[in-house]
Amino acid sequence: MTRSGWVQGYLLPDPIRVAEAGYDYLFAPVGNSPYAGRFLSDALASLLRVTLGFTLAVVSGIPLGILSGRVSTCRHLVSATINGLRAVPGISWLPLALVWFGIGMHTTVFLVALAAFFPIYINTAAGARQINPLLYQAGEMLGVGRIRSIFAILIPAAMPQIISGLRLGLGIAWAYLVLGELTGVPNGLGAVIMDARMLGRIDIIIVGIIIIAVMGRLSDLLLNLILRLFFKSARRLT
Amino acid sequence: MTKPLKLIRPLQPVKAARPALTIRKVSKIFPVDDGYLNVLDNVSFDISAGELVCLLGPSGCGKTTLLKLIAGFMKPSAGIIHIDGKAVTCPGPDRCVVFQEDALFPWLTVSENIAFGAKKLMHKSRLVKEVHRYLEMVGLSAFKDYLPREISGGMKQRVALARVLILQPQVLLMDEPFGALDAQTREDMQNLMLSLWEKLSHTIVFVTHDLVEAITLADRILVMGTNPGHIRSEIQVTLSRPRKKENNAFHNFFRDLRSRL
Repeated sequence: MTRSGWVQGYLLPDPIRVAEAGYDYLFAPVGNSPYAGRFLSDALASLLRVTLGFTLAVVSGIPLGILSGRVSTCRHLVSATINGLRAVPGISWLPLALVWFGIGMHTTVFLVALAAFFPIYINTAAGARQINPLLYQAGEMLGVGRIRSIFAILIPAAMPQIISGLRLGLGIAWAYLVLGELTGVPNGLGAVIMDARMLGRIDIIIVGIIIIAVMGRLSDLLLNLILRLFFKSARRLT
Repeated sequence: MTKPLKLIRPLQPVKAARPALTIRKVSKIFPVDDGYLNVLDNVSFDISAGELVCLLGPSGCGKTTLLKLIAGFMKPSAGIIHIDGKAVTCPGPDRCVVFQEDALFPWLTVSENIAFGAKKLMHKSRLVKEVHRYLEMVGLSAFKDYLPREISGGMKQRVALARVLILQPQVLLMDEPFGALDAQTREDMQNLMLSLWEKLSHTIVFVTHDLVEAITLADRILVMGTNPGHIRSEIQVTLSRPRKKENNAFHNFFRDLRSRL
């Protein structure tokens, strides 16, 4: 459409230019052009933020989810609060995060962790709650106590839901990464997009979007792979 | 397990030797919306070691509740339950349940399900041998690597049986375990259970609402009534084993019993 002149090139550059910009961004030596070769450092910075934020979400979301799925008092206490918080759009946390953590790494990690937490928590709690009580009874009579039953019964039985929570969380983590990086950090994939917008480099914006999509998909595959590697239940129940 | 007993009382059959299970004045009351529901009222009986007793009654007579009390999944509102002289306070591998529905662990294979309770009790090499032995006993050696969702209902109940038998429980509690199976599979399972019982001589409490099943299996039938659940009568099944439904004696016994209930 751009080539035929229907759309102006400064709004939507033609695919060849995007490909050139992409090649430049990914592989050209640093200094060739404004964006040349920045990919590696941007990607590593973003990857670090996503990993940190996602890890925080996992280590808080899964135990809390298990607790409120298994203990009804805990469910009543926690889930009302969390469901209330969930209704708040993630972006409205941004000003608060900026005040708390300033511009930069911490804010992004905080936003990523917060956004990824909800699907992980909610799915884990739902999975833990839906487990057939017969499985716990069977476990008890086979000599598995309450604490051990979390690892021997609850986690494997709830694995399908835990996995969907983790995958949803990871997807959202990438979305909020961009949001966090739009606030003026010097590097990262979101920062590149914002930077390119200010310089009118639509081709770089498109390159950035594609790279984020690809990395999001790759991380999803990696997550699946890791879970299947370490959990029998992930291999057999999904 | 039964050897020392034989030394002490060489002339008596093992079955009559000692009560494996004692139930005294057990009641169970559940709180419901508008007050209380009396599910079991003043139930007392003894079961000897090695005996096969059927709890027979219509649905709602509290037979499953009684089984869960013996298993220790819940506590009686009043009364005491003793296994081998010890009070029941919590679930334990000395009295195992084969549930009515499928309660296998769906993420574990047949052999892993059977090993689940036993793996803490024995070394790896012995565990492998034991699992193999019990797989063979229930005729599932060829299916050891299958997942529960890949095998039939009858096979699942065989796995459920094997995973508790491997713990060598003193008392086996069976909660209408074959109720959901088709007639042919059901008969096969009954025969399998009886042959295992003759081989392993554990005590069995078998819950059923099926009179024919009770007569086929039991040494003794405890007939339960409703509102609230109680033991109505106790019937010794004097028919010789193996019992065939086609036999006249079986038929007469059945008719006689049905007219009395």
